[in-house]
Amino acid sequence: MNMIEFRNVSKIYENDSAALKDINLVIKKGEFVFMVGPSGSGKSTFIKLLIKEISSTTGTIFIAGRNICNLKNNRIPQLRRNIGCIFQDYKLLSDRTVFENIAFALEVIGKPNYIIKAQVPQVLKLVGLYNKMDSLPHQLSGGEQQRVCIARAFVNRPPILLADEPTGNLDPATSEGIMKLLSRINLIGTTVVMATHEKSIVNAMRRRVVELEDGIIIRDQKRGVYGS
Amino acid sequence: MSLVFRPKHIFGETFSSLRRNFLMGFTAITTVAITLFIVGVFSIIVFDIQSVLNSIENQVEIAVYLKDNISDDLKIYIEDEIKEWPEVEEVTFISKDQALERFKTQNEGSDILKEIQGNPLPASFEIRLKDPQKIEQVALRFVDKDGGNIEGVDEVIYGRNYVKKLFSITAVTGTIALLIIIILVLATMVLIFNTIRLSIYARRKEIEVMKLVGATNWYVRAPFLFEGSFEGFIGGGIAVLLLYFLNRFLLIKGETALVETMRIKNLALLGTDNVIIFIYLAIIVIGILIGLLSSGFALRRYLKV
Ligand SMILES: Nc1ncnc2c1ncn2[C@@H]1O[C@H](COP(=O)(O)OP(=O)(O)O)[C@@H](O)[C@H]1O
Ligand SMILES: [Mg+2]
Repeated sequence: MNMIEFRNVSKIYENDSAALKDINLVIKKGEFVFMVGPSGSGKSTFIKLLIKEISSTTGTIFIAGRNICNLKNNRIPQLRRNIGCIFQDYKLLSDRTVFENIAFALEVIGKPNYIIKAQVPQVLKLVGLYNKMDSLPHQLSGGEQQRVCIARAFVNRPPILLADEPTGNLDPATSEGIMKLLSRINLIGTTVVMATHEKSIVNAMRRRVVELEDGIIIRDQKRGVYGS
Repeated sequence: MSLVFRPKHIFGETFSSLRRNFLMGFTAITTVAITLFIVGVFSIIVFDIQSVLNSIENQVEIAVYLKDNISDDLKIYIEDEIKEWPEVEEVTFISKDQALERFKTQNEGSDILKEIQGNPLPASFEIRLKDPQKIEQVALRFVDKDGGNIEGVDEVIYGRNYVKKLFSITAVTGTIALLIIIILVLATMVLIFNTIRLSIYARRKEIEVMKLVGATNWYVRAPFLFEGSFEGFIGGGIAVLLLYFLNRFLLIKGETALVETMRIKNLALLGTDNVIIFIYLAIIVIGILIGLLSSGFALRRYLKV
């Protein structure tokens, strides 16, 4: 089953800079894909198109077989509930505890309290932060904050998880832990797309690698490496 | 669209936001109150003048008060004469006794009655016209060549001067009031707009996360719309309170005095009328609408969903 499909997708920003040019790409359910390339090559643009934070200029994008380009504004939230998203800067709310940060994500999509109380501790166990649920973000290390971010993205069990440079602010050892966690999430059936420019991480994983340069796919390899 | 009702989500933010930007919220609410108070005062005045005008036109158009010593012959002569005039719809004779009786029922329970000795009220003809425009023309027939009243007639009241004055006063003050109100409403909207802009700014990280995890657009907007309408509602409420006291302690007395000097009968006093309840409700609704509209503008401008 095709989880993500790009057909002749181009994105030209308002200032006429073409971030993606005529992209054709299929990602199957359960795959783990690295989007690699230097800064400015279009990785973040690719991710933002998937959650419809921006819209493609031309071409069509399918998610689970559905064309998301003609999605009405009020259907976008439904799309986003099925896609978890993590970032280099974590985007945690600094005045809320770990538990509250994750609960917030369920609250705002209308999940009842008893589900929140059941699911948040469960996902905290998965990311290994069960005993830190009452800490505030600033009391955590960078790696732990990223785990909270992953927990928040995954608490709703979305079929797709997107990661935009999740290890950008972390040291290699911590990054390895994050990659293990993402692998585990991938192993239970989640399709994972991760944008990065860190060669060592990509090379250690031996997963599919799609390389972008100036908005064009220049390489798509099954068990690839990056800049060998 | 699934918008689960979470009171904490919708209401909680308003209070923390009002605490955060107390001065801004306070200014916005005060301006709403002042604006709507002025709107209220002018509505009351306009409705009042309207009801006075209606009373003048629909009830007694000309009252001809007779001297106490008028002879029956002369009285009958004048009455027959009036009935001949083509402009006249109806003429009614009110005797001194009837006048007193009516005065008593109109002032039931009032202290004035105790002070009345004998019957100081004059007999009168009350003339209703087919066309109120002819009122001056008809009234002038009771004036003789020297400018005094014809024999047997003490005084002719027809309210024409009041009508003219009231009309010109309403026209001028109405225009000025409308301008002031428009300016105030705009100022109010700018102020509420600003409080909402600040709230959106203060919560920008939460908004970002909400949108990211798929909160509906209305879920994201609701607290801000509530905050705006809450400010409008409180402002409107304060305006209504002020109007209530103004009406209670000033207008009703003023109206009573007005009615007495003009000798208008059966005037529907606004101060005691249901219309004022309607005005109060309208002011609160307008306050809420101003708040909703202003926060709506702020959301369009600063909250891309
Ligand atoms: N909002 C934007 N407006 C205009 N140009 C943008 C915007 N976002 C990104 N770009 C441009 O698009 C290109 C790709 O950017 P991006 O997708 O962020 O690359 P990456 O994530 O690989 O570093 C860059 O040239 C960047 O300058
Ligand atoms: Mg990027």
